[in-house]
Amino acid sequence: MSTLVIAVPAKGRLQENAENFFARAGLTLVKPRGQRDYRGTVAGLDGVEVAYISAAEITSQLAAGAVHLGVTGEDLVREMIPDADGKVVLIEGLGFGFANVVVAVPQAWIDVRTMADIDDVGTDFRRHHGRKMRVATKYVNLTRRFFSGHGIVDYRIVESSGATEGAPAAGTSELIVDITTTGATLAANGLKVIEDGVILRSQANLVAARNADWGAGEREIAKVILDRIAAQARARSFREVRARFASCDARLVEAAKEKFSVTTPFGGPTSSGMLTLHCPPDQVYALTGFLRDNGAEAVAVAELGYVFSRDNPLFEKLDAGLA
Amino acid sequence: MDATVTQVPNRPDQRAEALVNSYERAGYARIAPAILQPAEPFLDLSGEDIRKRMYLTTAPDGAEYCLRPDLTIPVSRDYLASPAAGQIAGYCYLGPVFRYRSDAPAEFLQTGIESFGRPDKAAADAEMLSLALEATAHYGLPSPDIRIGDVALFSALVAGLDLAPAWKRRLIKDFNRKSNLAQDLDRLTLGNANARPEYQGVLAALAGSDPKGAQALVTDLLSIAGINAVGGRTVGEIAERFLEQATLGASAKLPRNVRALIERFLTIEGDPDEAMAELRALANGTGATLSDAIDVFESRTGFLAARGIDLKRVRFSTAFGRGFDYYTGFVFELTDPARTGDPLVAGGRYDGLFTRLGSAEPIPAVGLAAWIERLAIYGGAA
Repeated sequence: MSTLVIAVPAKGRLQENAENFFARAGLTLVKPRGQRDYRGTVAGLDGVEVAYISAAEITSQLAAGAVHLGVTGEDLVREMIPDADGKVVLIEGLGFGFANVVVAVPQAWIDVRTMADIDDVGTDFRRHHGRKMRVATKYVNLTRRFFSGHGIVDYRIVESSGATEGAPAAGTSELIVDITTTGATLAANGLKVIEDGVILRSQANLVAARNADWGAGEREIAKVILDRIAAQARARSFREVRARFASCDARLVEAAKEKFSVTTPFGGPTSSGMLTLHCPPDQVYALTGFLRDNGAEAVAVAELGYVFSRDNPLFEKLDAGLA
Repeated sequence: MDATVTQVPNRPDQRAEALVNSYERAGYARIAPAILQPAEPFLDLSGEDIRKRMYLTTAPDGAEYCLRPDLTIPVSRDYLASPAAGQIAGYCYLGPVFRYRSDAPAEFLQTGIESFGRPDKAAADAEMLSLALEATAHYGLPSPDIRIGDVALFSALVAGLDLAPAWKRRLIKDFNRKSNLAQDLDRLTLGNANARPEYQGVLAALAGSDPKGAQALVTDLLSIAGINAVGGRTVGEIAERFLEQATLGASAKLPRNVRALIERFLTIEGDPDEAMAELRALANGTGATLSDAIDVFESRTGFLAARGIDLKRVRFSTAFGRGFDYYTGFVFELTDPARTGDPLVAGGRYDGLFTRLGSAEPIPAVGLAAWIERLAIYGGAA
């Protein structure tokens, strides 16, 4: 029997966020043999195995095709997998684990604001010091690609496995490439981000492995899972607004569509004057005012659990990626 | 499953051995540098970009080693460490090099020659191209396409321009990597694109003042802020470049006629005699400081003719370079006229290498490398 393997981060906030993400889509991850187990299942869904492993390990397992789907950061995907787009498909950003990979230099470098400055400083540095300026980072490949894209050659990479932001002060590098969410840690260490030095805006992604064993069974299960995720994502981006009118015409519906970007998932008003609209959350109050001004007797607004539609965009993305 | 290590189709064959033997008879001592090399010189000289093609390993003491990705640097290091260092010496080699290639085995054979210490550079350059032609002829391709260039010409042109030193460094670097030259010329011609809005007032105020006093002021300001040497650069260095930026922002506008000169220079190509005539015309008409470099070029062309090379078949271009900043003069590539793409033999003059490797004095150096796997497809008998 075919089994779809989903890799989920084994530790910390990433695990929590990932589990919440799946739970919101009605996919409750369970560990039948207790909390310490590194293998789990999805409640009520056969043929799925959940593997709890570290985010870095998830990335290499995806590249090798040892798991079908996984939750990992785009930064790791781009850093760890040569030809990432040939090996994996980034299906969907998950809205957590945000981090930017940036180039940062000491604040004292008042003459440096752009990558072009760094290029020039590199050449200058070699002339003054007889060696190349050093860039501390754990993102060796991202750094090399980015610097190469800016035509910078006079630098050396110093691999750093932790506390990279301390390297310039410790004298082990001149500048760094590291992840940052708010920039506070960088600032606390006397570093500033280069203006055009954002290498990647990363977040946790649902990622599919192209090289995994995708039989008809695995595809079918993936289709169910992605359908639920899409339905839930769609539900979150709308509120359901229902109103009853003594009389309502197509012109009013068109005006609402125009003004508030609403959709009419179930068509126009019914014979009894009931109209159901799906409306972006930030437009709800404006819409309800508009409807009442135009003769609605009562307006009810509700949050949605799932909105399923005929298409399954996430699965289509996977399917196209595997082709 | 990794296609790059399944086969080694490059055991030295008889033709390759015969070729190296001919180099030995021509006076080049055969040398076999270590396959396992310290990684540092390659990363330092070729840049971090080569890392993605290198096979790296770490010794228990933390030192980084690699399987040699080329032989020029290993041969040069062995020579520099030998008693012959600084004297005239010539070496030849035949052996495997290791580079990651997505579509071909990572281990492949190269043969080549390095000639060190000869002061008669033009003659040594010509000899190297002549030996390169012998290599293709040896494999049954007597008339390859010959492309040549001379990095020294562009260096001489830029050295003579009335430009801030930072811009000269930049133009030379752009030329070597062939990427941003047009873009930088745009920036220079338009001027001010490099300006720093929030410092504009300060920079304008400092621009006209005594440079020493201005640097002392900036240095003091940084010290008052409690900033000492951070990230390996001294406060003085930062101040100096900050003020250099002031000059660049305020006055570095490349006159249009200078830009036109650079662009006209870079379009010059043809056989060596035609090109030389054009270069002379350019130098005479514009006062470009090219005459010394053109003299070397002319002398080299004479030696090429003396070696029986048909100059009409040689295609020179001022824009042709080898992409590494330690090349300093003559550069060449031999390709198959019937195929597009990778060179069969390539080489050039790299007088800048030995000081980068730690030599106190510069040592003239010129060499060539041939790809055995690319030559092996030709059927000619040795």
